[in-house]
Amino acid sequence: MSDTLVNMRDVRFVLYEMLDVEQLTKYEYFADHSRETFDIALDAAYKLAKEVFWPAYVPMDKQGVSLDTANNKATVAKEMHEIWAAAREGNWQGISGPAEYGGQQFPGTISAAVHFIQNAANTAAHMYIGSCAGAARLIYSFASEELKQIYVEKLFTGQWGGTMCLTEPQAGSSLSDVKTTAVPAKDGDYYLITGTKCFISNGDHDLAENIIHPVLARLPGAPPGVKGISLFVVPKYRVNDDGSVGEFNDVITAGFEHKLGLKGNFTATLSFGDEGKCRGWLLGEANKGLTYMFQLMNEARIATGSQATSVASNAFFHALEYSKERFQGRRITEKDPTTPPIAIIKHADIRRMLLIQKATVEGVFALLAYAAFVADKEHASPSAEERENANLVLELLTPVCKAYGSEAAYDAIIQAIQCYGGYGFSEDFPLAQMLRDCKVFPIYEGTNYMQAMDLLGRKVPMKGGKGFQALVAAATKTVKEAASIEQLKPLAEKIGAALKIVGETTMHLAGIAGKGDIELYMYSSATYIKMFSPMVVGWLLLWQAVVAKKALEKGAGEADVKYYKGKIETARFYINHEIPHLEANAQIMKSNERTAIDFDEEWF
Amino acid sequence: MKILVPLKRVCDPDNANKVKVSGDGKAVTSEGLEWKPNPFDEYAVEAALRLNENAAKNEKLGEIVVCSIGVADVAQTIRQALAMGADRGILVTADDGALESTVVARALKALVEKEKPDLVLMGKQTVDGDSNAVGQMLAEMLGWPMATFVASISTSDGGKSLNVKREVDMGVVTLKVTTPAVVTVDLRIVSPEAVKNGATPDSHKYNEGPRYASLKGIMQAKKKKIDQLELPALGSDATPATTYPRFELPPARSGSCTFVESVDALVDKLKNQAKAF
Ligand SMILES: Cc1cc2nc3c(=O)[nH]c(=O)nc-3n(C[C@H](O)[C@H](O)[C@H](O)COP(=O)(O)OP(=O)(O)OC[C@H]3O[C@@H](n4cnc5c(N)ncnc54)[C@H](O)[C@@H]3O)c2cc1C
Repeated sequence: MSDTLVNMRDVRFVLYEMLDVEQLTKYEYFADHSRETFDIALDAAYKLAKEVFWPAYVPMDKQGVSLDTANNKATVAKEMHEIWAAAREGNWQGISGPAEYGGQQFPGTISAAVHFIQNAANTAAHMYIGSCAGAARLIYSFASEELKQIYVEKLFTGQWGGTMCLTEPQAGSSLSDVKTTAVPAKDGDYYLITGTKCFISNGDHDLAENIIHPVLARLPGAPPGVKGISLFVVPKYRVNDDGSVGEFNDVITAGFEHKLGLKGNFTATLSFGDEGKCRGWLLGEANKGLTYMFQLMNEARIATGSQATSVASNAFFHALEYSKERFQGRRITEKDPTTPPIAIIKHADIRRMLLIQKATVEGVFALLAYAAFVADKEHASPSAEERENANLVLELLTPVCKAYGSEAAYDAIIQAIQCYGGYGFSEDFPLAQMLRDCKVFPIYEGTNYMQAMDLLGRKVPMKGGKGFQALVAAATKTVKEAASIEQLKPLAEKIGAALKIVGETTMHLAGIAGKGDIELYMYSSATYIKMFSPMVVGWLLLWQAVVAKKALEKGAGEADVKYYKGKIETARFYINHEIPHLEANAQIMKSNERTAIDFDEEWF
Repeated sequence: MKILVPLKRVCDPDNANKVKVSGDGKAVTSEGLEWKPNPFDEYAVEAALRLNENAAKNEKLGEIVVCSIGVADVAQTIRQALAMGADRGILVTADDGALESTVVARALKALVEKEKPDLVLMGKQTVDGDSNAVGQMLAEMLGWPMATFVASISTSDGGKSLNVKREVDMGVVTLKVTTPAVVTVDLRIVSPEAVKNGATPDSHKYNEGPRYASLKGIMQAKKKKIDQLELPALGSDATPATTYPRFELPPARSGSCTFVESVDALVDKLKNQAKAF
């Protein structure tokens, strides 16, 4: 079994050589940090991931979770308890939380890298940890001072667990159909919550003494649709005045999902207020719940891309190692059957499959880190203009991180299994579990079609296309730089052409929307995101190639020379293999392809 | 108790197969490999932390100074130990190639004379050179009592002496050493009940292994002091006693495999063919 989870050389390349994250320490908010705190934190994260998270990966899948319904007691694997304790001791729940609430205030770019490492080792486990910060940040950003004092620090320090409760049986993709109700109490500042939420990750467990549920619900007389949804903080156990855990708050775990993957994570069906005693506290203003929840969802969407890609990273290193150890066949030019067989990595087709994986993992990791870096600027830059620009680019990249990250990673794991041959299909190796675990990422946090609609319907046209223009401007800069380097010129030309094609296709689709054919416009979004994403990832890989080329020219040691050369050729592989599909997808959209729209249900 | 813990960074032992010999055979090259604290030194840091705390009350009982001899980057390795909870660092700058055992032992002797610790607690060996010599040399140079390969420590006489168990080929040797002393530790020193200091309740069970640096510890470590010194300033001689004329890799194994029918056949082959015993 491979013992590399993530290529830390590549992580450092992205953080320091490509993005120069150290510049974030110039901002007052991150001023306590330095390259050294980043490096030590990354090393510590890797060590913990490898020694504590990863050994539990297979056992947690085998064991799953359990529920004693008679006593409303959920149990997770003992290995998960060890991970939780270690994560709490290391303050990992609060890595990016503000220091005033028990967090360590690391830049989001560093915590993105840390989460990538932890997810690569054991993504079902990392979800329990990540969800603390998710709920904490939501309360920190929008709740009253009083609620903040009660919940935020306890979540960032992992004393309590967190969730996000949106989905209901009849309201999955369509949150406008949320039915859970919140009725103001007659005797206090709280609301009585009634309703059922399903598929709630980290929804119940025995890791923490309390679990804090941010819950979407409707107030009496609220307008229909998304404009009538409010957000409530609903603890599993009520909190006493002194901050200690009090009475049960009538949140019953009705069951859990028996899933294809992520079996170590407790996916709960929660029943709020069966006895009419479930209290919730309004978070922020009434009817603004979905807007608030979107902050958490945007982070969670990027995190979903990270979950997927990090698992693909682990799968890639397994495939790489296996390909060096498995001997089979001879070179195509070798006619003598008595010569010894060769390691399969010597077959070009195996290297092709490994390159698909390497390019996906490195390209999408760069995308995720870039998105986090932009988010850090949005949060901490003193310049209003920079903050606004950052916000626009982040909004645009979020659906790409989620949808492309989750799909490309799944495809990459399929290639990893293919490298293993029949052994990849066997549960004796962890690859099969990795594939099972990864199938959920195109589904949750808004299905990938929801992401596609978000990209084309909202993000591209947002503010008159300003975000799109900012992204194209950044990519054009890289293209120009790359074009001046002989070795990279052909790649620069291809990305330059891709930018043009995406621009033209966007105009074409805008024309369709302009004519009022919204159905065709949105139908095209699934193809649009397939075209748009490789443009972004191709650009980031080209950027990396430029950095690598410059480093080579400056002179590098033997190991670095290999790394940089591999980097440049990985960019070449991706651009040569993926960018041509972009053109094909553009053609599909430009031909106003609409078969599925017109296809009668009866014809199936 | 004041404890001095010498710490060396080594190539990540997980990458041992990537270690190469330079073209001219003069050196072992570590270019491009990840660096890690020497595992046995990390165990020494953990043991020092356990000796100098009341784990039940989260109280510190003494000072732990971590020192390293090496290139400027080694400051980060020291910082990792500070993030685990050590108090202060000393970096003696020297080339990686110059770290031969006698040079290191002499430098440590100078540091001990300067710092006057009650105990030098160190790894039994580094996993790069595997010489297993520095601790012994240092004790001899200082004229201090010494215990090597220590797998458990409990303090007595209010910390003035240590009851240690040493792991040796024939079993376990129990010794009492009076401080100041040099103690080198083995893997089992980081098992849950290996260190008893009279302050932490004897029933306390630590997690197996050295503690992980916490983020809080990392932020605190940033504020802790690392003094920088140079070998000559320590008044320590940097001439090595051993020189290595040439390195070469062992011959590659043929990788062939034969199956045997019985244990007797195996024993016979091991004895007569492989000449293993
Ligand atoms: C393991 C797991 C963990 C989860 N964790 C959480 C959690 O923590 N919190 C939470 O709130 N939810 C959670 N979910 C729920 C998840 O977000 C939903 O499953 C998801 O949003 C899709 O909703 P649905 O399952 O009802 O599918 P549906 O909405 O019924 O979708 C079915 C299919 O129809 C398509 N579709 C739906 N609407 C449209 C439309 N308007 N136009 C075109 N196509 C459409 C979808 O793309 C999809 O392909 C989790 C789900 C899983 C599986």
